[in-house]
Amino acid sequence: MRAPVSRRFVRLLAALGLAGALLLPALAAPARAADEKLVLRAGTDQKIKSLNPYAAVVVAEYEAFTLNYDLLVNFGENNEPVPGFAASWTQSADGNTWTFKIQPGLKWSDGKAATSEDARWTYQTMLDAVAKEVTLVSGYLDGYLPAAGVTSVTAPDPETLVVTTEFPSTLVLYVYAPILPKHVWEKVPFDDIASGAYTNPPPVVGTGPYQAVETKEGNFTRFMKNPNWRGSALGADEVILTTFASSDTMVQALRNGEIDYARGIAPDQFNSLKGQPNIVAVEGASNGYTELAFNCYSRNGGVIEGGGASTKALQDPAFRDALGYAIDKEELVAKTLAGYGEPGSTIVPPFHARWHVPPASPRTFDIEKAKSLLDAAGYKLDAGGKRLDKEGKPITLRLTWPDSEAENGTDAQFIAAWFEPLGIKVDASVTEEGQLIDQLLPPEGEGKAQFDMFIWGWVGDPDPNSLLKFFLAAEIGVSSDSFYENPKYDELYDAQRKESDEAKRRELLTQMQELIYVEAPYHVLYYDSQLDAYRTDRFTNWKNQPAANGTPLFGQGSFGYWGLGAVAVPTPTPAATAAPAPSGEPTPAPSSSGGSGTGGGDSTPLLVGILVAVLVVAGIVLALVFRRRQAGGEEE
Amino acid sequence: MEPAPRGSPPAHGATVRSRYFLRQVAQAILTVAFIVLVNFVLFRMMPGSPERILLGRNPNVSAEALQQTKERWGLDKPLIPDQFVSYVVATVQGDLGFSFVYRGKPVTQVLAERVGPTLLLFGLGELIAIFVGLAIGAYSGWRRGGPVDYVGNGISLILYSMPYFLIGMGLLVIFATALGWFPTYGMVTPGATYDSVGEHAADILAHLALPLATVAIGLIGQYSILMRASVIETMNDDYITTARAKGLTGGRILRHHALPNAMLPAVTLIAVNLGYVVAGAITAEKVFNWPGLGTLTVEALEARDFPVLQGVFLLLSISVVAANLVADLIYGVLDPRVRT
Amino acid sequence: MTAPVLTSGELRRQRLALRARGWRDFLHRFGRRREGLVGVAILVLYTILAIAPALFVGPLETAVTATGGRLQPPGTAHILGTDELGRDMLNLTVHGTRISMIIGFLATLVTVSVGVVLGIISGFVGGRTDILLMRITDFFLVLPTFVLALVLTPIIRDVLGGGGEILGIRISLLVIVVAIGITSWASTARIIRSQTLSLRERAFVDRARVIGGGPLHTMWHHILPNVINLIVANAVLVFAGAVLTETALSYLGLGDPFQPSWGQILNAADQAGAPGLGAWWYLVPAGASIVLVVLAFTLVGGALDDVLSPRRTGRR
Repeated sequence: MRAPVSRRFVRLLAALGLAGALLLPALAAPARAADEKLVLRAGTDQKIKSLNPYAAVVVAEYEAFTLNYDLLVNFGENNEPVPGFAASWTQSADGNTWTFKIQPGLKWSDGKAATSEDARWTYQTMLDAVAKEVTLVSGYLDGYLPAAGVTSVTAPDPETLVVTTEFPSTLVLYVYAPILPKHVWEKVPFDDIASGAYTNPPPVVGTGPYQAVETKEGNFTRFMKNPNWRGSALGADEVILTTFASSDTMVQALRNGEIDYARGIAPDQFNSLKGQPNIVAVEGASNGYTELAFNCYSRNGGVIEGGGASTKALQDPAFRDALGYAIDKEELVAKTLAGYGEPGSTIVPPFHARWHVPPASPRTFDIEKAKSLLDAAGYKLDAGGKRLDKEGKPITLRLTWPDSEAENGTDAQFIAAWFEPLGIKVDASVTEEGQLIDQLLPPEGEGKAQFDMFIWGWVGDPDPNSLLKFFLAAEIGVSSDSFYENPKYDELYDAQRKESDEAKRRELLTQMQELIYVEAPYHVLYYDSQLDAYRTDRFTNWKNQPAANGTPLFGQGSFGYWGLGAVAVPTPTPAATAAPAPSGEPTPAPSSSGGSGTGGGDSTPLLVGILVAVLVVAGIVLALVFRRRQAGGEEE
Repeated sequence: MEPAPRGSPPAHGATVRSRYFLRQVAQAILTVAFIVLVNFVLFRMMPGSPERILLGRNPNVSAEALQQTKERWGLDKPLIPDQFVSYVVATVQGDLGFSFVYRGKPVTQVLAERVGPTLLLFGLGELIAIFVGLAIGAYSGWRRGGPVDYVGNGISLILYSMPYFLIGMGLLVIFATALGWFPTYGMVTPGATYDSVGEHAADILAHLALPLATVAIGLIGQYSILMRASVIETMNDDYITTARAKGLTGGRILRHHALPNAMLPAVTLIAVNLGYVVAGAITAEKVFNWPGLGTLTVEALEARDFPVLQGVFLLLSISVVAANLVADLIYGVLDPRVRT
Repeated sequence: MTAPVLTSGELRRQRLALRARGWRDFLHRFGRRREGLVGVAILVLYTILAIAPALFVGPLETAVTATGGRLQPPGTAHILGTDELGRDMLNLTVHGTRISMIIGFLATLVTVSVGVVLGIISGFVGGRTDILLMRITDFFLVLPTFVLALVLTPIIRDVLGGGGEILGIRISLLVIVVAIGITSWASTARIIRSQTLSLRERAFVDRARVIGGGPLHTMWHHILPNVINLIVANAVLVFAGAVLTETALSYLGLGDPFQPSWGQILNAADQAGAPGLGAWWYLVPAGASIVLVVLAFTLVGGALDDVLSPRRTGRR
């Protein structure tokens, strides 16, 4: 009597299996695009959380607003100032007045005329914020006008914008802030703009090459070509910036042709992409660095109640200098970055070819030299082999890094191992990013500066000015996380930002770089390269920015998009569903509920519908099972 | 873990039943209240201040800016009276605040967008797991000791021991990377246009395949083990031997005795599952970046997005309490022995 | 009712003899269950590896001492291949055993201790204490414990402070132990409590009270020995759960690259892009170990359950 038992269940399973098998061909039917448009899909691991440009924090968000809008002065192939919202500009004889001529006949994407009044309004809003001491959301864009010394902005006629500064400065041309349409933004209360409550929802109105028409925050943002674009014809009809949770899936999507561009790939994946047909793997020089930072807090003798550094040795430049000889930067580049980077030196990355100046006497990796320098500086070994500070305490340094930068943990392993022969114990552990941000605050920032060393990084702008601020005394409690203080440095900083003569400014920056290198509040470990990859079978004419050592997209401004062209026959948007044949065209990827092309609704109702249908079916089946039971009863 | 066995025998009649139900409901409400309180405290204890994170590591931030951010998001008011009271009042009214990360999007909206995908994934996953698990378990138990049993039971045990993400990674590598049968990531194609609802559904289903398989496989184990044990137990009962002697078919026995016996613990299992489902949700969703509550939780955690975290916690806890309540009530209805 | 009068020495000897017989009986019955034995064998193997990993593969390879190339597939020099820093996978996996097992063990210790103490007290004392403790237990039962652990870990890290070591285990990992312990004790407490409740009604407890033993004495000498069976069976399953939880937490990034557990190895594999690169050797050793160990615990737990609380008469 064995067979009947299983038969029922086998039948049930078979039914399910059949249903599944029937479904597969349905899956094979591709969702064709309604019309054949050429869509550029770029992937990144960063999220675009808001389309309000003032909320921009990460590169992807910057990319979004440079697609939507023009900067007053844009950036060209080598990051040089090129016409943007303004077609041309002149500087007055005394250097304090800049006159910009707005692009003639410029229109917003909604058809309205774009004039100097829009530029004036935008800049005035930013100046007002500074005057009211209100930060515009993340505050990343706030500093550009003050850094350039801008005092006022006027628009004498619709085609002219006059910017007045308090000192002659070329930084006026490097204001990385978008020009916004006054007729849209003036309707928004200032407080909403400043607080970020206003997220600039699509459809966005701008003068940039593409405007956002759809966004699922944190998943993808879709941009459509600006019908009133002032430049030459754009190759792509649409641009979609998508967020991936890991570079792994992003690379797979690139291989499958689901995306055309991938930003931020891990070294091993980068290696596996080199030489793949129709894929170019590009290594871009980084406008930034990763550093080993020290707690150099020296106010009040370096003593912080309930916190502070564990030893006064950290305040001594000679101590920090000696440690620098125990760091093998080449090895870090080789092992952590798999060779994709440059060993670090000064705080202005080589990316800034005009401003980077290598140190006069660079350090080498020499453990013995480090030991002798420590001895010479007064840090002797005790009988047990431990290095003592001048107070007679064995030196144990805490080292930490944020959990968002896993590779810094690898660097930490190396550093801990290298400092050990010096007699210095390194206590390394990861800290959650949010907590670390708090931990790095000194009393001036209402914190306790509970750390000795940490590893983190910075990314810069086209102008190196923003990378110089971290060592100012005034920035302690704000952006300075090493608490380095040197009046000489402050002087130099003030002088360079007002200096418009390039040669003179370079001289000042040379002194600043040398000073920081020698006194070493940071040891710049490396300039990690930007690893991107893109496909060449749908788009062509990818141009690197800068030409010599940059990447095509996610650079400065929207330069990379202008020249892109379609390759011969544009293929329709890839199939939106899977095909059982392993031809490698499964669906492109990431989003939450993707709306339809015509800006249709959410697919949540659809999901709920599917679920309800399945549950109803299941309920019916279960009910049948139970009914049988009651009907049958005990038949003994 | 099994639920605690119930206590004393029932008094009599329907009044007892309704009192039982009322008591369960009251307990559930009390638990939810406790959750709300602790929820609030817990997240305020977390290190890392949201205002700093909101502003990122920005070179241009001023001390005034930080103070303003604090004020703007109500972070400067004293914890105990003000922040807590406003939290409770708002929660009761259904306002869960605004997300820090998504710059002012209401938490309810953030949650609403993410609940659907998780519900879809785990709802279907549970169903499949139940059907297939019970089937495998029944088959195993029936043919106990035979090769089918060993294989079936062995596989169930192994799957029961595997973390979800391991299953997910395996499926991903085999079916998505190597064979290319399914998409690797997400729920739909961004920006794709569909000619019909059918196509849209097909797109979702294609993306759903691997995550669903992961969840179903992860859940099958316990149901199959449960069903197998129930079948074995039923087979050993004396009256079954009698029934068999009388000539009842195996199928009948299975349907009328083993299956119902397994139903009760299965019902409890579903409810108990819900708590652990979240752990599975977080890791399984992460592997495929399925845009549900799991990935939301991890993101909110990293960003210290308090309002969203509180919302997720509240939602999940209430769901688990509700599910347990329903399971208790069903148990009460199905099993007359239970009546405290 | 007259019990034979025995000296305390004789009483103790009698008790021990009974216990010994009980043990032999237990082992005999346990030995008949093949799955249980398989489980024990696996656990013994991994425990040996966990106690002295350096004996088998040498000290833990670090980024600095790594000798292999990046992501090398298994070969003669490295039997299980290498990771992206050139470290030997076999070395990492064996050392990971120690970390995973110790965390599991400590977490189980914490969970069971707290659960047993609270369970016994709650069940024995009863009254308002019981109600209060049960409320708290209910709350923890209902919470999504994993999310709670995710949230608690950074908080506890803050309190205990990052680096440093205790007993050779870094604080950052002990944090996970505490987090798992805090979130898992509830179901143990529940189970122990109900057993305590039923024991309490038994006659020998009354007798103990009559003789004059205080509540603490009663709980220790009479209740506890009778719940040991339950505790052991429960602890085994708790261990399995702890290993799984720690793995998941590490996978989500809360692990420690300086003392990698299996979960941390998988996390590192994920970050290095191993799945997409087809570097299966990075995933399989740690993954298989996790499954084997958890499976082993489940088998042992199942077998223990069978042996200690036989429900069926007759066959087998």
